[in-house]
Amino acid sequence: MRDVLHVARAQLVTALRERITLFWFLIFPVFVLGLLGLIFTNVGKTQDLTFEISVVNLDRGTVGGNFGANVVETFRELARPGTPGETALFRLHEPGTEEVQTYLVGEIRALRIGKREAVVVIPEDFSESLYAAAGPSSAGAASALVTVHTSGGRTSSDMALGIIEQVIARVDREILAKLGLFDTARVVAVEQLQVGSESKSFSYVDFLVPGVMVMGFFVAGLFSVPGTILFGRERQILRAYWMTPLNVPRFLSGFSLGHVALCALQFVCVWLLGRFAFGAHVNLFQPLAILYLLLAMVTFLALGFLVAALARTPNAGMAIANIINMPLMFLGGLFFPTGSMPPALRAIMLVDPVTYIADGLRASVGVSPAAFGRGVSLGVPCAWIIGCAAVAVFRLKWDVER
Amino acid sequence: MKAFRALLSSELRVFLRDKAAITFTFLFPLLFIIFFGYLMGGVGTASNAKLGLFVAPRAETAHLEAAVTAVGVADVVRLATAAELEKAIEDRKVDFGAEWDGATLRFVYDVRRTQENFTFQELARGIAARFDLANQGRHPILGVTSIVEGGEASADWFTLVVPGILAFSVLSAGLFAIAGHVTSMKQRRLLERLIVTPMRPIALLAAVITVRFAVVFVSTLVTLATAIALFHVPFHVNWLLHIVFLIAATLGTMGLGTFLSLLVKQPSSASNLANVLSMLMMFLSGIYFPIEIMPPFLRGLSLALPLRHMADVMRYTTGVMDMSALRFWVICGVFLAAGIGLLPILSRYVVRAERR
Repeated sequence: MRDVLHVARAQLVTALRERITLFWFLIFPVFVLGLLGLIFTNVGKTQDLTFEISVVNLDRGTVGGNFGANVVETFRELARPGTPGETALFRLHEPGTEEVQTYLVGEIRALRIGKREAVVVIPEDFSESLYAAAGPSSAGAASALVTVHTSGGRTSSDMALGIIEQVIARVDREILAKLGLFDTARVVAVEQLQVGSESKSFSYVDFLVPGVMVMGFFVAGLFSVPGTILFGRERQILRAYWMTPLNVPRFLSGFSLGHVALCALQFVCVWLLGRFAFGAHVNLFQPLAILYLLLAMVTFLALGFLVAALARTPNAGMAIANIINMPLMFLGGLFFPTGSMPPALRAIMLVDPVTYIADGLRASVGVSPAAFGRGVSLGVPCAWIIGCAAVAVFRLKWDVER
Repeated sequence: MKAFRALLSSELRVFLRDKAAITFTFLFPLLFIIFFGYLMGGVGTASNAKLGLFVAPRAETAHLEAAVTAVGVADVVRLATAAELEKAIEDRKVDFGAEWDGATLRFVYDVRRTQENFTFQELARGIAARFDLANQGRHPILGVTSIVEGGEASADWFTLVVPGILAFSVLSAGLFAIAGHVTSMKQRRLLERLIVTPMRPIALLAAVITVRFAVVFVSTLVTLATAIALFHVPFHVNWLLHIVFLIAATLGTMGLGTFLSLLVKQPSSASNLANVLSMLMMFLSGIYFPIEIMPPFLRGLSLALPLRHMADVMRYTTGVMDMSALRFWVICGVFLAAGIGLLPILSRYVVRAERR
C-alpha cells in the first residue's frame, strides 16, 4: 500500500511543481469560470458602459413647438451621470458653430471607424409628422421617425441602437401622455420568468460551475494521463519504475489515486471561486452529485488511457488529445446548451460522455432538468470506462520497444 | 539563393510531414467554424428569433399578435398552456416566450441561453411597448429607422467570430513557427548541424517565414471558403489589404514568438508559454465574446493584446467592420516593425547562440 501512496504523492507533487501543468489544471479552469462569470453576469447591463453618440436636430418645429428639441433634451439628461461617480449612459456630441450638414458628414465618418456608436438625426419635418401622427385621422405605424445611423459589425453600435430605441419609446409615451392620448395608470404589468433550471433562483453561474468542473476533469484526464505515460515511456522513466518491486497494477493504482487528488484540488478551487466570487449557490455536496463527479474523474482518466494506448509518441498523443478535446467539450454542452444540430454533430453529441456527465451532474443538483434518464447518464460513461480500459489493456505499452 | 531554395524545400516537406502541425493549422480553424456555425449560428440576430406564445382562454389576443408582428420575430408558435410554453423553451423548440393572462404580460427566457437573452429581452421590450399602446387603442407616433454605415449590416455573432478565428489561426502559425518549430530544432540540436554548413541564419529564417506565410494564406483561404459555403457569411474580402495584413501579421507574430523564446531558459518552454499566452489572448481579445460586454478592466487589458487588433483588422479586410485607413496601416506597420526588428535578434540569439 505504501508504494501505491508514494506513486500517488509523486504524481500530485510533479503536477504541482510543473508550472505548465499547474496552469492548465488549476489556473485555466479558474480563469474560464472567472471570465465567463464576469462576462455573462454582466450581459445586458450597461451601467459601466458609456456610448459615444451624436445627436443632430434638423427639426424646423411647428406652431405647437419643437419636439425635436425635447428628444435632444432627453438625450442630454442621459448624458449626465445620475449620481456623482456614476458613469453616464451617453457621451453626447452635438453640432457647434459649424454648418450642420458638414458636421453630420464628419460624424458619419467618425461612426464608420468606430469613434461613435450611433448618430441620431432628427429630420426637418419631425414636429409636423408628430402632430400629424397624433391626430385622429392617423392609423398604423409611427410616422415621426428618428434616423439612427449605426456602424456595421460593431456590437457596441448594436447595443447603442437598442438603448436609443428604448429612449425613443419612452419619449413616445411621454408625448402621448402629454397630449392626453395615453393613460399611464393603465399600463400593462410586465414580468420576466426564467426557465431551464429546476429552481427559479439559480443563475447562469450555477449552470456554469458544474460545467467548468467537468471541463477541468476532462482536460486533466485527456492531457495529463497520456502526457505522463507517453513522456514517461519515451524518456524511460517508466522503465526505472519497473526495475523496482513496483508492478503495473500498483503503479496504476497510485497514478489513479494521484489523478483523483489533483481533480479534487481542482474541484475545491473552482467551487471556492464560484461560491465566494460569483455567489453560486449550487449544492455539489450531495451523494448523487458526488457520484457524477467521481464518474467524471474515472471516465476521463479512462479516456486518457485510451489516448495513451492509441498514440505511439508523446507528440502524437497530444495531437490526438487536442483533436478530440474540442468536439467533445463543445458538443457536450459544458458552457452553453446545445441546440439543433446536423445529424453528424448530433451523433458525436450522443456518444460523447461529457454530454451525459454534464447533464446528470446538473440535473442531480437541480440546476437544469435532465435530458436523459439516470440509467443512461450513468450507463454511457460506464460503457466508455469499460471500452477504454479494454483497449488500454490490449494496446497500451508500458515500456519502449527494444 | 541555392541554400534558400534547399531550405525552403526542406521546410515545406517538414511541415507537410508534420501531422500535428497540419492538424493545428488547417483542421482546428475548420472545426471551430463548423462547431460554432452549427451551435451558435444566428445568435445575436433578432430576425431569427422564434417566439412561443400562450394566451389564456378569455384574454384578448389580437393586440398582442399585432405587437408581435410589428416587432418582427422570425416565427410565432402558439402553445396551449403555460407549462407547454415553458417546456418548449427548455427544449429549445422556441427561443423565448410570452404569456398573456389578460392582466399581466410575462416574458419567459431560458436561463442557460445567457448570451442570447439580451437580444430576446430587446424584442420583448418592443412587444410590451407596442402592446401597451394598442391596449389603449393607440399606436406609436414616434419611431426609429436605422441605417447601417460601413461594415456588414447583417453581421451576427458568427459573422464576427469567423474573422476572429482566422486572426487566431494567423497568431498561432506565426507564434509557433518560432516558439515551437525553431526552438524544437534548437532543442534537438538540428540548428548546430545546419550552422556548420555554408547556410546563413537569415536564409533559414527566410525559408521558415515563406513557408509559414504560404500556410497561413492557404489556411485562411480554406477557412473563409468553408464559412462562406456552409454558413453563407456575408464577406466581401479586400484581397490586397488581406494579403498585406497576412504578411505583416505573420512576421509580427513570429517576432512575438522570438520574444517569448528569448524569455525562457529551456527552448521547449517557449511553446508552453506561447500556448498559455495564445489561449489567454483568445478569450480576452473579443474573438468569442464581444469586448463591450466585458468588465472595464478587461476591456482596457484587451487593448494591449495583439490578437484584439489582428481580429479587428481581419474584420476590416473581410468587410465585416469598417476601420480608418490610418489605423489599418498603423497596425500593419507595428506588426511589420516587430517582425523585422526581432527576427535579426532571433538569428543572433536563437541560431548563433548554439555555436561552440
